[in-house]
Amino acid sequence: MKNSILIKILLCLCCVFFIGIACTSSISKEKKPSKDTSKQDSIALWIKASKNKKLTSSQQQKQLEKAYLKLQSTTKDTLHAKNLSSIAYRYLELKDATAFHKINNETLQLALQLKDSFAIADAHWSYANYYYNNKNYEKSYFHYNIAYKHFEGIQRDFETAKMLYQMSFIKGIYRDYTGSEVLIIEAIKKFKALKNYEQLYLSYNFLGGLQQDIQEYDKALFYQEKALAYLDRFKNKINYRSGIFNNIGSTYRYKKNYTKAIEYYNKAMSKKNRPTIINNKAYCKLMLHDTLGIQQELFRALRIRDSLNNNNGIIASKINIARYYEYAKKIPLAFKYAQEANIMAKKLKNGSNYLETLQQMANLDPKNAKQYLERYIQYNDSLIGVERRVQNKFTRIEFETDEHITENKLLEQQKNWIYLGSFGMLLIISLLYILKVQKSKNEKLLLETAQQKATEEIYLLTLEQQAILEEKKVQERNRISQELHDGILGKLFGTRINLGFLEITKNKKVQEQHQYYLEELQDIEKEIRDVSHQLNTDTTNTDINFTNLIAQLLQDKSILGNFKYELTLSEQISWKTVNELVKVNLYRIIQESLQNIIKHANASQVLLAFSKEQEHLVVELTDNGIGFNSNKTTKGIGLKNAHSRIQKLNGKFHLSSVKNQGTSIHIQLPITITI
Amino acid sequence: MNKYTALIIDDHPIISEAYKSALLQVQKQQENISFNIHIAHNCDTAKEIISDFSDRKKIIDLVFLDISIPPSKDKKLLSGEDVGLMINRVFPSSKIIVSTTFNDNYRIQSILKNMNPDGFLIKNDVSPKELVSSIVEVLTNPPYYSKTVIKLFRNQLTNDFILDDIDRKILYELSLGTKLKNIENVPLSTSGILKRKRHLMQIFDLESSDDRGLIVMAKEKGFI
Repeated sequence: MKNSILIKILLCLCCVFFIGIACTSSISKEKKPSKDTSKQDSIALWIKASKNKKLTSSQQQKQLEKAYLKLQSTTKDTLHAKNLSSIAYRYLELKDATAFHKINNETLQLALQLKDSFAIADAHWSYANYYYNNKNYEKSYFHYNIAYKHFEGIQRDFETAKMLYQMSFIKGIYRDYTGSEVLIIEAIKKFKALKNYEQLYLSYNFLGGLQQDIQEYDKALFYQEKALAYLDRFKNKINYRSGIFNNIGSTYRYKKNYTKAIEYYNKAMSKKNRPTIINNKAYCKLMLHDTLGIQQELFRALRIRDSLNNNNGIIASKINIARYYEYAKKIPLAFKYAQEANIMAKKLKNGSNYLETLQQMANLDPKNAKQYLERYIQYNDSLIGVERRVQNKFTRIEFETDEHITENKLLEQQKNWIYLGSFGMLLIISLLYILKVQKSKNEKLLLETAQQKATEEIYLLTLEQQAILEEKKVQERNRISQELHDGILGKLFGTRINLGFLEITKNKKVQEQHQYYLEELQDIEKEIRDVSHQLNTDTTNTDINFTNLIAQLLQDKSILGNFKYELTLSEQISWKTVNELVKVNLYRIIQESLQNIIKHANASQVLLAFSKEQEHLVVELTDNGIGFNSNKTTKGIGLKNAHSRIQKLNGKFHLSSVKNQGTSIHIQLPITITI
Repeated sequence: MNKYTALIIDDHPIISEAYKSALLQVQKQQENISFNIHIAHNCDTAKEIISDFSDRKKIIDLVFLDISIPPSKDKKLLSGEDVGLMINRVFPSSKIIVSTTFNDNYRIQSILKNMNPDGFLIKNDVSPKELVSSIVEVLTNPPYYSKTVIKLFRNQLTNDFILDDIDRKILYELSLGTKLKNIENVPLSTSGILKRKRHLMQIFDLESSDDRGLIVMAKEKGFI
């Protein structure tokens, strides 16, 4: 019984708990949009405005600032993180490093706080881009890797593949060809599943480049053809087409198939990569010993690159010019260009070109060839050293990220355990609390019952005491009556008779008076006799105690509750025959009801009537107070008590109350009770 | 000339004096009557006098007997009633005038029944004149009952039902406020008494089983 109540209470608690959650969440879902939509709209607008190419970059930045300020006033949720990320990325694009760092960091912190994996990855992606742009490939790789893990964790395949592609690209820069290939193949798998042809084109193109680098030219061609095939399956950009043709051309060039290379270079010719193509084509022609117009073309490419400030291009051009002069046996000129290219490559830390120019210089200047070759070897070693170090670093990064993520997972798990544990604890504590409350309630109930019993005992004792008092009173009355009767009356009688026999012979008037006084004395005796008699007859009124108590109770309570009362007692009830227990219970119920009237009813008049209907004692207690809805109100302990009391006595208890019209209690009890 | 021996038994000297005066008054009024008067104030003295007369083979002719007098020391005689019964036994011919202040019908009735006195005076009924005439009446033409006693007879006669001793006793005890379980002088169990009570209720045509109504009714009808 007790347990089932507990379970019910728990269920209720849980329900309330979950409903509460549901409510708050639904509220948040409903409310936020209505409140923030306009804000979100304006933020989106401003971000969009910042991309407007017609504005100056400072104007674009202003738009971003506005968006950022507005964003501060919105709720810190996923959308907030998304917007922050967009703003950070825009700053990145605008090359405002400070603002980018600040906002991207904010994004990352919020994302971590929200445990929004996508936002975390997004922020890392931005960092990776930033470092990539700054040519800090190690850091860039680090962030790509983190972003990759997070994207992978939430199965964002496109982004995952994109990260793989970028990581593969960076590995390629450090000539970790195997690592790079593994990553790009992984990326290609995902892009294939996504049927993202543009990315497939890019990936295959890159893979082709990788094969080129490891001198697997046939493989390179195979992948490049694949890339070319994908090119037709999406709305291609002309750059892509010229790019792939250039790359294929280069592959053929490396294969020393210069005719084929020139064929592809011709196809690749576009406005953007014109100098490269010209340069490459010129090299091929040189190799084919077709020197016609090469010099002009090479210098044309150099000029264009010079004008574009394309330093690497300039280096490439100068290397080719040096080759041309070498071929044309103009050694000093060749050496001059080779040296220029060498210096520039060193400055730009363009390792491959630096090495190439060193070799060129060694060839062109046999006297100092040893020196150049030494430099070559030294540099090559250091380059390989750097590459090894970086490759190791990448491995470490991967390992550390893995570790970091597992650690995070562990922490997450730990957190979950903590939540679960604390919820369990809470449950146990609330259970214990409820148990305690229940226990104390029970104790209170027990105490109340004990108290009730005590009151009943007191009542009975009072009754008894009153009965004893009454008996003593009666005895005393009887004694007085006896005294009057036997003693005083007797003496008076004696005196009167004696007086009567006195010889009063004076005159007639005196005799008459004498007689008169004698008669008067006899009357006095009679009066005393009557008094004595009355004293005696009153002795039968011994059982008015209960009604006395009730009257006393009513009077006391009426003073407390400031109400008028009327007590009606039917003459037909012989209280002596009513069981004491009935009286006790009636007394208690009336007492409690009056207490309630004082506490709640605010009544000005109370009627209490005892009557007899056949073999039933009927008690009616009515007040004109404020009343209550007797249908709705759950029964209080007092009412329940009254009910059970009456039920025990095989009686009926009925309460009716109308709001603002008072309350009435009707009790019907059998007079003769066998308990 | 009739010379009577009279014994006055009353614990109040002033009352015994009054009786004496009355007797002397009779003596004065009736020339052929004279009294030899003895006075006792308690059971013991009364008993002594009675024994003395009995021993001397003399009789007591007239007795004024009060009911509530101090009992004898050996507790054999508890009241005037016992003394009266003794006199009835020792001197069957003596005439007893019970003179008492009792006014409850039950006691009067029981005295009448047990002792059958020649005179019964309720003290407050009588004036000196009546006292004198009662003595003469008892001596010459008994019995003599004072007004209250006669009223009682009348009340009883008009009732068409009869209550026995036990009924009366119960009613009497109840009227004294004695609790049912404490009623001792009735040879019945509590349930027996209850049965009697219910019967009495029926007789008196009472609805409620309240003692009060019963007693009031019994008093009205002259049973107690």
